[in-house]
This record gives sequence, structure tokens and C-alpha cells, in this order.
Amino acid sequence: MPDLPDTTSSRTEETTLPAPSEAVATNEINLPEAMAADQLYGTAPPADSIGQETTGGYLEGTSLWRDAWKRLKKNKLAMVGGVVTLIIIFASLFGPYIVKAYNGFDYATIPAERELIEARPPSLLHPMGTDPQGRDILARVLYGGRISLMVGIISTFVSLLIGVTYGSVAGYLGGRIDSVMMRVVDVLFAIPYMMLVIVLLALFEKSLFLLFAALGAVSWLTMARIVRGQVLSLKHQEFVEAARSIGVPTWKIILRHLVPNTLSPVIVYATLTVPSVMLQEAFLSYLGLGVQAPLSSWGTLASEGAQNIAIFPWMMIFPGVVMALTLFSLNFVGDGLRDALDPQMRKS
Amino acid sequence: MFSFIVRRLLVILPMVLIVITIAWALIRLAPGDFYATERGLPPAVEKNIRAKYGLDDAWYIQYGKLMRQLAVLDFGFSRKYQEQTVNEILRRTLPVSIWVGLSAYLIALVLGLTFGTIAALRQNSALDYSSMAAAMLGISMPNFVLGPILVLVFALTLFWLPPGRWEWVEVGGIYLPNIKYLILPAITLSAVYMAYIARLTRAGMLEVLRKDYIRTARAKGLSERQVVFRHALRGGILPVVSYTGPALAFLVAGTVVVERVFALPGLGNYFINAALNRDAPLLLGITAFIAIVVLVFNLLVDIAYAYIDPRIRY
Repeated sequence: MPDLPDTTSSRTEETTLPAPSEAVATNEINLPEAMAADQLYGTAPPADSIGQETTGGYLEGTSLWRDAWKRLKKNKLAMVGGVVTLIIIFASLFGPYIVKAYNGFDYATIPAERELIEARPPSLLHPMGTDPQGRDILARVLYGGRISLMVGIISTFVSLLIGVTYGSVAGYLGGRIDSVMMRVVDVLFAIPYMMLVIVLLALFEKSLFLLFAALGAVSWLTMARIVRGQVLSLKHQEFVEAARSIGVPTWKIILRHLVPNTLSPVIVYATLTVPSVMLQEAFLSYLGLGVQAPLSSWGTLASEGAQNIAIFPWMMIFPGVVMALTLFSLNFVGDGLRDALDPQMRKS
Repeated sequence: MFSFIVRRLLVILPMVLIVITIAWALIRLAPGDFYATERGLPPAVEKNIRAKYGLDDAWYIQYGKLMRQLAVLDFGFSRKYQEQTVNEILRRTLPVSIWVGLSAYLIALVLGLTFGTIAALRQNSALDYSSMAAAMLGISMPNFVLGPILVLVFALTLFWLPPGRWEWVEVGGIYLPNIKYLILPAITLSAVYMAYIARLTRAGMLEVLRKDYIRTARAKGLSERQVVFRHALRGGILPVVSYTGPALAFLVAGTVVVERVFALPGLGNYFINAALNRDAPLLLGITAFIAIVVLVFNLLVDIAYAYIDPRIRY
């Protein structure tokens, strides 16, 4: 690359300089609207609508979400990611029944004929081949998807619950309580957490519940920091003062006025937590500590395949590719959502 | 600066204590004992074993014993591998894990920084998009999937590298790993971190390149090379430096997986087996060492941070 220094210098002047000004311009246009929406949003929630407002009709009028949707639609990668994710979710939900109707296999079906109990490469009857027990890999991948997605979503929910509660309480109460609580988070951050999870899962009887709890407990730290930062910046705004002045109790201020306003970064971060949790589940399953037989997740399938890769490569390739594709799409959706919801915070 | 380091070293101690205490509490609460067999032991034998290891002592006596062991960093004999002390096992296996982990981190750092910087300098070019897509793929690909794929290609098809295991070479009295055995595990482990570092570098550089001081540097007539390497990179890699801490903690877990993929004689398998076998001394010993290593590295990262970012003063 002899021309590298040249092109970089001319390029940076051409491309990076206009880009910031564009970004600044969009910020300037969107910021007031977003703030207005935030404030509206903070003061307006009807008493019992927390947790439903994203789907609720009253958001129609606010422009933050509409704006975000507009921006998201322009982001082709994110849209493709979203469609792929939806396809995979639907496939895992309904696919097993279709496969069952097509070739009569579900995730545990072992063929009755002796000569069929062997690993066979992909064929018309078994689009992803079979494993050494003669089980249909497509059916197993689709079933595994249910478990993997369930682990991803439920563990993320656990981390949301802990992180949002912790972060908003710390941020709102402030002062010494805040600094102690955040100090604890710093300490926990430095601890090799996965190690303790491995110990936990190796020592106790493995159950899905323990897995959810362990993975959720690992990933709430960043969430707590994000929420705390948001709450800190919000708690001196007028709508909070107003609520306090009419004697709304603290927990109600946090729950009804502050938490809903932190929603957009929380949604973004949650979207990015799902793939990382799924990856950790696969990790643990590979070590024999995650999802236990007869259940199977993509992690267990890919690790079974990894042991046979030289002989039956399809056993690893299909689960591995489906899993990577899912994580890939979820990451793109998360990135796209961040860019859409948070134009000022375009970080990696 | 000095007082900062001392203060941080003082913080490390209670943190190691916390980790050890959690691990100790978990192994105490866990059902099952290391001597348990399928058929069960005669009660007299069981009683003797429990007496020998002091398992029926009150919890504070056992905890005190643990603290004494921690103070001298000697956890005694493993209960599963009866003839070996925990320290012997650590001395044999820890170097393997550290070699793999550190070389993976270095690969990730060098390549991640390079790709991230290039992507940022040529924002929205084909090079930018392709390296960011590659980075996304690296993040989405579990390393136990990447590892076997690399083995399939480089070891079982091209026969360039061995598919697994480990060899030490003696060079002038020092044992170094045979690099042929190190390459594939290190690359496998580095992929995720390379991807993260590339993304962080790109984002950091994009932000810094818009700053006024970069414009000033350009206005002074500095060459693009000087602007990028002297001024921009210094600010741009700060997010990368602060990611090092969490990365190290996860590197430990990653090493466990990679060691299993490549059948390396590292710490990972001992760690998991220690937990599965209820081998308390071994488990606690490994936990203590890893916690100390990770925390000390975290401290080094903080010091490096202060050197790189002139705005931070301790």
C-alpha cells in the first residue's frame, strides 16, 4: 500500500470533517424535541402503565419514539438484523411442528430402524443431516433455539430488574449512599465474575433457574451504571421537583417518573445484553455446566458438534452458524437502536 | 502517584478476601463431599476422613485455617490429586494459561488497534464497513466454534499446525512454549477481544478526530502521521484501556474454554474439576491466584491510564 499516507490525508479531510458537522446538525434538530418528549413522558404516564408504555397507544403523539423509528428504518443493517431475528424467533417457536409434520422427527426422536441410527450428511429428508443417534439436527437446532432465546431473554430480564432498581435507587438517593453503592459496583466489576459463576454452576445441581439467576447476576453491573447516570441527570428537573413538592413518596418518584425516562438507553443496553448472555450460556454449556440433557441449546449442540468436527462437520456447522447469525443480527439491532434512540451517544 | 498505588494495593486485599470468601461459602453450602462415592462409605471410614480434614470443625475454625493459608499463599495438598500440593499444580499449569491469555490479549490489542484506527481514518469506506462487519462476526462467534474451525482448516486440512496439546522448549535454562502449539489457541482466544478493541478504537478515534486540538494540530501543519499517532491515538485508545479490566476477567473464562478445545494442560480443567470434585483446597487456591492476577492487572491498567491521559492526576 504505497499510497496509504496520501489517501488518508485527503480522505480524512473530505469525509470525517463533513460527518461531524452533520452529526452536530442532527443533534441540534433532534435534541429539543427529544427533551420535550422526555419531559412530557415523565409527567404524563398514567398511573398503571409502567412497563407497557412502549406498546401503549399514548406514545403516538410523542416524537422521540417516532423519530427513533424513522432513523432505525434508514439503518439497513439494523432492519435486516431485526427481520432475521424475527424469522429465527418464529422458526424456533413454530419450526419444530413443521419439521415434525415433514419428517416425523422432534428433538429427541431416534429412528426405529437400526441402520438409520448413524450420522448422515444433509439430505432432502434431513436438511441439516443427523447426529450419531440418528436424530434430526434441524429439529434439534430449532428446539435449541427456544432454550437459547429463553435463556437470553429471561437472564436479560433478571439483569434489568437488578440493574435498574440498583442504579435508580443509587442515583436518586445520591450522597453517601450513592457513593457506597457505586463503590460496590466498581469492586464487583474487577472481580473475575465468570469464575464465580462457573463455581456456582459446578457445585450446585444444575437447573435452568440457577442458570438464569447466575447469568442475570453477572450482567447487571453496566445496566446499573447507565441507569444511575441517567437518573442523576434527571432528578433535578422540574417534573421531579414537582412530584416531590406534592408529596409523592420516593419509591413512586423512582418508579413512575425516573425509571420510564431511562427507558431508551435501557432498551438499547438490554438488546445488546441478550446476545452476550446467550454467548455466555453457550460457554457454560460447552463446559458441561449450562443446559443439561435431554434439553439442548445451541451451545450444547455446537459443543457436541465441535467434538465431531473432523468426521461429521455438519453437526457443528449448522448450530454454530445459526447461533452466530442470531447473535450477529441481535448485535446489529442493538447498535441500530442505540444510534436511533440516542443520537448524541454514538459510541461503539 | 505513589500514594495512589499504595491505596489501590490496599484495596486489592479486601477484594481478594471477598472473592475467596464467596467461593468458600459456595463450596461449603454445596451438597456432596470430595470423598463421596456411588456406593457410599462405611460410617467409620467417613468419620475418620471428616476428622482428618477437620470437616466437622466449626465454620470459624475452618475459615480461620483458610485465612492462614491465604496469608502464606499455601493451600496444602489437593484432595483429589492426593500426592500434589495446590502450589505444585499451579506452578505446572498457570504458566500455560498465562502464556495463552497474554499472547491472545497482545494479538487482540495490536490488530484491534490497527483495524480500529484504519476504520476510523477511512470512515464509511469499504475498508471501514468490512472490518466492522468482521469485528461483529468476531463478537458473535463463540470461541469454541471458531477453535474447531481453525483446527479443521490449519491442522487437519493444511497440516500447518498441530491440532492441540502443548510443548515447552528450553532456551538457555528458561522454558518457553513451542510457538507452533501456541498460535491456534491464542488466535482463537483473541478473536472476541480483537473485535471489541477494534470497535472501541474506531469509536474513540472518531470522537477524538473531531476535537479542537486535532484541528489545531492540523493547522500547525503537522503531518497526518503525527496528528494520528501523536495526538489522536492517545485520546482515542482511552476506552480501550478502560475495557482492559473487564476483558481480563472474561479472558479467564475464555481461557478455560480454549484450553479444553485444544487439550492444553492449563489451569482451566483443574478449575472446573476442582469444583465438580469438591476439591476445596485446589478450588480456593486457583480462585485466589486468578483473583490476585486479575486485580493486579487492573491496577496496572489504572496506572497506564494515568500515563496515557494527561488530564488524570492521582
